[in-house]
Amino acid sequence: MSTNERSLVSRFAMEVATGCATLAAGVVVVLGALEYEIGWDEGGPQPGYFPFYVGLIIIAASLGVLGQAFLNHRRSREAFITREGFARVMAFFLPLAAFTVGSYVLGLYVGTFVYLAGVMIFQGGYRWPFALAVAGGITGFFFVLFERWFQVPLLKGPLETLFGIY
Amino acid sequence: MENIASLMHGFGVALTMHHVLLMMLGVLLGILVGVLPGLGAPNGVTLLMPLTFSMDPISAIILLTSMYWGALFGGSTTSILFNIPGEPSSVATTFDGHPMAKQGRATEALTYAFLSAGFGALVGVVLITVLSSWVAKFALRFSSPEFFAVYFLAFASFIGLGGSSPFKTVISIMLGFAFTAVGMDTVSGSLRLTYGIDELIRGISFLVAVIGLFGIGELLLTMEEGLRFDGVKARVSPRKVFATLLTLPRYWLTLLRSAAIGCWMGITPGGPTAASFMSYGLAKRFARRRDGFGKGREEGVIAPETADHAAGSSAILPMLALGIPGSATAAVMMGGLMIWGLTPGPMLFIEQKDFVWGLIASMYLGNVVAVVLVLATVPLFAAILRVPFAIIGPVILVICVSGAYTVAGASFDLWLVLIFGVVGYVFKKLDYPIAPMVLAMVLGDKAEDAFRQSAIMSGGDLSIFWSNGLVATIMALGVLLLVWPLLSLIVQRLRPSRDVGATTA
Repeated sequence: MSTNERSLVSRFAMEVATGCATLAAGVVVVLGALEYEIGWDEGGPQPGYFPFYVGLIIIAASLGVLGQAFLNHRRSREAFITREGFARVMAFFLPLAAFTVGSYVLGLYVGTFVYLAGVMIFQGGYRWPFALAVAGGITGFFFVLFERWFQVPLLKGPLETLFGIY
Repeated sequence: MENIASLMHGFGVALTMHHVLLMMLGVLLGILVGVLPGLGAPNGVTLLMPLTFSMDPISAIILLTSMYWGALFGGSTTSILFNIPGEPSSVATTFDGHPMAKQGRATEALTYAFLSAGFGALVGVVLITVLSSWVAKFALRFSSPEFFAVYFLAFASFIGLGGSSPFKTVISIMLGFAFTAVGMDTVSGSLRLTYGIDELIRGISFLVAVIGLFGIGELLLTMEEGLRFDGVKARVSPRKVFATLLTLPRYWLTLLRSAAIGCWMGITPGGPTAASFMSYGLAKRFARRRDGFGKGREEGVIAPETADHAAGSSAILPMLALGIPGSATAAVMMGGLMIWGLTPGPMLFIEQKDFVWGLIASMYLGNVVAVVLVLATVPLFAAILRVPFAIIGPVILVICVSGAYTVAGASFDLWLVLIFGVVGYVFKKLDYPIAPMVLAMVLGDKAEDAFRQSAIMSGGDLSIFWSNGLVATIMALGVLLLVWPLLSLIVQRLRPSRDVGATTA
């Protein structure tokens, strides 16, 4: 990493955070497995047996990762992400998250149209008639592609119900 | 010779107008996903999967495998022209391919790439033709303990031979197992790891996971690096292609060595990416002149491409014959096989002769079709990459999210794909391998079933995994691979101390 790019999160911090997250996941899996019997009966291992040990192995391996993080990455100044990189990722991720929430509520077609048009206008710097036309064209193409050709319906929202497209 | 007869029968199955058209469609779609960053072979095949549920299995697998070939080829196009690997497995192609293109030798580089890739793929398919029924016959002797041992070996080889920290590989595999355990347990019918969330009863689909991990994760990475397309203009003239073709036999040694590496890495779950890097490294080491690598050497394109495609196609062999896929994409296809109601493994060769040999025959044809189509469409796909990323990035994303929804028609999967996307991004940045997780999600239930059935056979005695020569050998190999990182660490520790001893003495 060159020094003139400002580091936002260090590799070491992220290694530790991820190790803790997988450790927590392991604990969650073990707790979930404990809702069932984890031993053996005459029918072989009981339902909780496999997940229980899977969870235990995740916990053990996470501890290993944490140990390695302290051994290998603690001293290094390596960055996980720079401020510039984080800004670029967020510029992509936040609209994506908004798209997911929007599609959940409004259906995938409306979500797609709003998302594409929005990104083109506010991030791509296109003029709105062009952006609306492109977004509309792509959404329309997807509609024909999924609903007519492949016959796999996508998630619909209130707008489709309003127009009676179902 | 029995295999040749079966293969001819297979050509009879594959060579219909319908199938050849599907092949061309698959290859074109494949090149498209290979060219677009963020869409690669594993999640391209995943996105297409829900659309094949209503097709007959032979047409479906031909479409999907053709897409796989196309994606492998498409990845090399962008590597050479734009210095952007469309696929992780074509990273090594950028080292010499892009410099060649910059020197005005784009046509040569592309021709070398595609032809050597085609050669690698054909070697892989020939290997499958020769070995598959033998491997399947051998595997017919397997029962539950042997199958569990083979699964164990497959995962152990990820841990032992993978480049990243063994702990991270273990976490990746075990998280995959945990995800498959979610939902209805196939043996007892109990609802495991659902934590009272109704949506989790269906389980977590590996297809949704692949779209998130590979698709969205890859896109986030691409965005962080700040994508720039500085392409080299390419017009492919048939005469130059032909002239390049004539010089290809000069590199026969590189071709053969790389194909061998590729086949080995494809059959063992090393995968195409590892194969292409290894092949590039070996080509450099064995080259008579070592200079010029990284600045546009022909061998630097031929070696990784041949190995990449040899690995890609031979990864189908263990998938068909043993039910263990050799690459992430093969894992997705195997999941598809199970969804279509086929059980991958040795019985497939007895019960579904049409399917198996139709598929193998289609691999010969598909690769020839792919070489021709990819050469013909270079300018077209290069033009697609000139569409501004502010448009194409979001469109890729919409395809990923919509594709995740089509898997089960469940809106809960929209959240899952987002979460898997973030996990994929973080895991990739921290060198957690992702392919083992996908493999674990596809094989998880089968591995658990094999373990439980073995336990039932032996009445709970784990020594069944050492009970005969066959299972004991496979288990021993697995254990050896498992402790391999530890062994190499000890050897590394011992060696410098010996050196120190030698200098002081």
